[in-house]
Amino acid sequence: MERKLTGIPRAEALRYLGVRGEPDARLTADLDRCEAQLCAAAVPRVCWRSFAREADGTLTGTSFRPGGEAIARHLAGCGQVLLMAATLGAETERLIRRAQVRSMADAALLDALASAAVENVCDRFCEELAARFSPQRLTSRFSPGYGDFPLSQQREVCRILNVQRMLGMTLTPGGLMIPQKSVTALIGVSDSEAPSPARPRCADCPAAGNCRYRKEDTFCESI
Amino acid sequence: MNPSEITLLDGGTGTLLQAAGLPLGELPDTWNLTHPQQVIALQRQYVQAGSRVLYTNTFGANRFKAAGCGYTVEELVTAGVRCAREAAGPGCEVALDIGPIGQLMEPLGPLSFDEAYETFRQMLTAGEAAGADRVIFETMSDLQEVRAAVLAARENTRLPVWVTMTFEASGRTFLGVPVSAMALTLTGLGVEALGFNCSLGPKELLPLVRELRSWTPLPLILKPNAGLPDPATGEYRMTPEEFCRDMEEAFPCGIRMAGGCCGTTPDFIRELARHLPRGPLPLELISSRGGLCSGRRVAEDGRLRIVGERINPTGKKRLQQALRENDLDYIVALGLQQQEAGADILDVNVGLPGLDEKAMMVRVIQALQANLDLPLQIDSSDPEVIEAGLRTFCGRALVNSVNGKEEVLNAILPLCRKYGAAVVGLCLDENGIPESWQGRVEIARRIVEAAERYGIPRQDVYIDCLTLTVSAQQSQALETLRALMAVKRMGVQTTLGVSNISFGMPEREILTVSFLTQALAAGLDCPIVNPNSPAIRKAIAAFRVLCGADEGGEQYIQLCAALPAAPAAGAPASSGAAPARPASGGSSGAADSLEDAIFRGLGAEVVRLTGEALAGQSEMEIIEQRMIPALNRVGDAYERQELFLPQLLRSAQAASQGFEVLKSRLAQHAGESLSRGKILLATVQGDIHDIGKNIVRVVLENYGYSVTDLGRDVPPETIVEAVLREKIRLVGLSALMTTTLPSMEKTIRALRDAGADCKIMVGGAVLTPEYARQIGADYYARDAKRSADIAREVLG
Repeated sequence: MERKLTGIPRAEALRYLGVRGEPDARLTADLDRCEAQLCAAAVPRVCWRSFAREADGTLTGTSFRPGGEAIARHLAGCGQVLLMAATLGAETERLIRRAQVRSMADAALLDALASAAVENVCDRFCEELAARFSPQRLTSRFSPGYGDFPLSQQREVCRILNVQRMLGMTLTPGGLMIPQKSVTALIGVSDSEAPSPARPRCADCPAAGNCRYRKEDTFCESI
Repeated sequence: MNPSEITLLDGGTGTLLQAAGLPLGELPDTWNLTHPQQVIALQRQYVQAGSRVLYTNTFGANRFKAAGCGYTVEELVTAGVRCAREAAGPGCEVALDIGPIGQLMEPLGPLSFDEAYETFRQMLTAGEAAGADRVIFETMSDLQEVRAAVLAARENTRLPVWVTMTFEASGRTFLGVPVSAMALTLTGLGVEALGFNCSLGPKELLPLVRELRSWTPLPLILKPNAGLPDPATGEYRMTPEEFCRDMEEAFPCGIRMAGGCCGTTPDFIRELARHLPRGPLPLELISSRGGLCSGRRVAEDGRLRIVGERINPTGKKRLQQALRENDLDYIVALGLQQQEAGADILDVNVGLPGLDEKAMMVRVIQALQANLDLPLQIDSSDPEVIEAGLRTFCGRALVNSVNGKEEVLNAILPLCRKYGAAVVGLCLDENGIPESWQGRVEIARRIVEAAERYGIPRQDVYIDCLTLTVSAQQSQALETLRALMAVKRMGVQTTLGVSNISFGMPEREILTVSFLTQALAAGLDCPIVNPNSPAIRKAIAAFRVLCGADEGGEQYIQLCAALPAAPAAGAPASSGAAPARPASGGSSGAADSLEDAIFRGLGAEVVRLTGEALAGQSEMEIIEQRMIPALNRVGDAYERQELFLPQLLRSAQAASQGFEVLKSRLAQHAGESLSRGKILLATVQGDIHDIGKNIVRVVLENYGYSVTDLGRDVPPETIVEAVLREKIRLVGLSALMTTTLPSMEKTIRALRDAGADCKIMVGGAVLTPEYARQIGADYYARDAKRSADIAREVLG
């Protein structure tokens, strides 16, 4: 499913760049220019599939059973699970790589903007899914590599979703996604209306050991 | 196969095997061994429905996708061919089916051309040995991957080759390949048929089929999906009748093989059989469009195309230095500058005494095609260099050049034929350049005849009638123009380097431009020029207005607005200027001093003020006393969080423009080096996230260190080898993912075990100082600024 990239959350991009306070006029102008380039190049695509979840956690019709306690906790009480993948496409990858030769300053801005953009694509897509599944409730996204959910299972998620054919995404032998600005995630569908859907915990974040926000006793916006 | 009929192919396989019990996400190819009867039963249904070519169930049976499935590639492929053969019976062919490897190729991904080639070769030789009749590469979206596949098939088997690629409705593949580039490249490589499969339904593919038809005379293959799937379930809703109604519309566009992909079943093929045209198809006479192309852009025949001449070290000291230092960024900048100045094709010549021309040609082409979109003209006199270039270049190249000498024609034309390249033919032979225009036309005729003997049509021969210097041989200017007019009538393309005309004369530009204009009027298609010269660009734009190619003169008006007339006197010629590397915007405004310009990141000001500073200071003094202190000031402000990463990089970039000025100056009197010491950087094996490492490189380079950057996904032994060979004293390793940290530890251990006398600094998002210590690193660099501090501590 092809989508359009519109409006990248600027605050998020600035956070990735480590910029505190208001950006100066020059930086704002540079970000505007890079954002325009990114919007012209990016072809965001998403795909998803819905699966029933068996008692042992296996997704019905597949041999995929998400590993670890964190994901089990996250999906507790969900009889149905959505697998999703999103990418900004190869042209975004190319744009950022090419910028690194011409202007590393632009490349850093593009990289941060693209990271914010792909998260934003996922957020908006999840809102659509939430509307589609209402009144059932959806948990937040939980990706391979969070907590003890092994990154190695990325491969199974990608195979089931057939992401190469659907989105043009591939995995390296080490399990890393190309285009880099891509996301895969699991979302639980909960029938009960009462308990608030699970969100990932700080401790599950791969950056927890070295997080500037945690050191300063604050939080990033992912939590 | 009857060329005047449409041959029926088969339909979808994966979804039907899933319906038969194959779990989603498992490799379907294993069923050739575990459930052969189900595979054969499905394929037999296709034969009964009318399929005359069965694709084997080996789409993903390559060494990457099959890793860990319990079977070898050979076992999967052999069993796949055996199943299809059994189902096919007599009167039905078996096509070895090969899909994409599933790894992106360089430069976006980690897979090299040679690895891709080897992966395909393994499947191909197994498939041929098992008795496949042909090979089909399908669902491809990377043209370079297809090139590796086709070359592997042609060099290792006798299997006829079909190719279908997968396109988006935009007319490009996921990787940005347009239909035109696919057609030109694959027709050139000698495939038997080509077309589309998957991704879209037949209705959406129809405009793409028409486009493809205009670019190739080959038989076309069409194997669409049954429309678009329901995202939640992956199910397709189109009926066989709807599918076939849309397919029928495509039949008259040269379709000779038709079938279905995802969501199609034996019912679709049965229905398709009913819709096939009765009786033989009328012979189509379609004049094909032609041209050169990269994987992303076409320089189409029939219009004026500018060949950029700047990547040629003859007489260019700074480029010679860049080649010797393997400074590919400088060469890429030369290319980008010409692309932006309107070049349609780039000449690439990297011949320099004492340099491995073949290896350099490969590296330069890789760097150029990673960063710009133009088709290339591979310029060398050495057939080995030409072949290495043709193999590396993704697209349809122009080879520069052959001439009337038999041995040259016999060495180079077969290469052009093999890789589908066009060729430049120079009007000279063992007796030199004929003085008369008739003599040159005679040589041109011989070149064209030889090309046609090798199967290269004359519209792919670019005749160069050769420009001689008017100050030495005045009568020759007219002979060149006369020859040009005569060869133009032979139905070839014409090319000509024009700058040579004015050598040794005052005000060269006016002579060059006048000659260029006359040559264009005489029928020159591809002038070889310096597109950065405003006078040349304007002359070409003016010609396009006068011959009616630029409607309303719009492009001319735009160009004049962008390049206002230069002041009459004292303006420096732009032709010798170094390429401005980091050229992007926002560097307006004036600075008080070089230091101020660096601090504020004003690149153009840094260039101006560096030039001024050279009047009173040496290159080294400028670096030591002015640039480094300015960068330190930036670094301090960054530490205090008054500036952030974007500003730090902006300043580094501005400083690098100043360095370029100093380097260009030094290249004129070689010998001196500006380096403060060597540092090696690498992103460790398994990791592909390298932007952080690249940021560090830029900052270190601007503190005057020379950086050997080994790139990403670098094995420990490569790092050890480079450190020992180059006697590196500081190594920087980067890793972004928790999963690649062990690889960093392994690299450090390998360096220590090898007794490398170096300090090691490490960095990356998930690293901590504790972990850095634990894996034996000497320093933890939390950011680029810190890495510069470490460099100063270690190297001074």
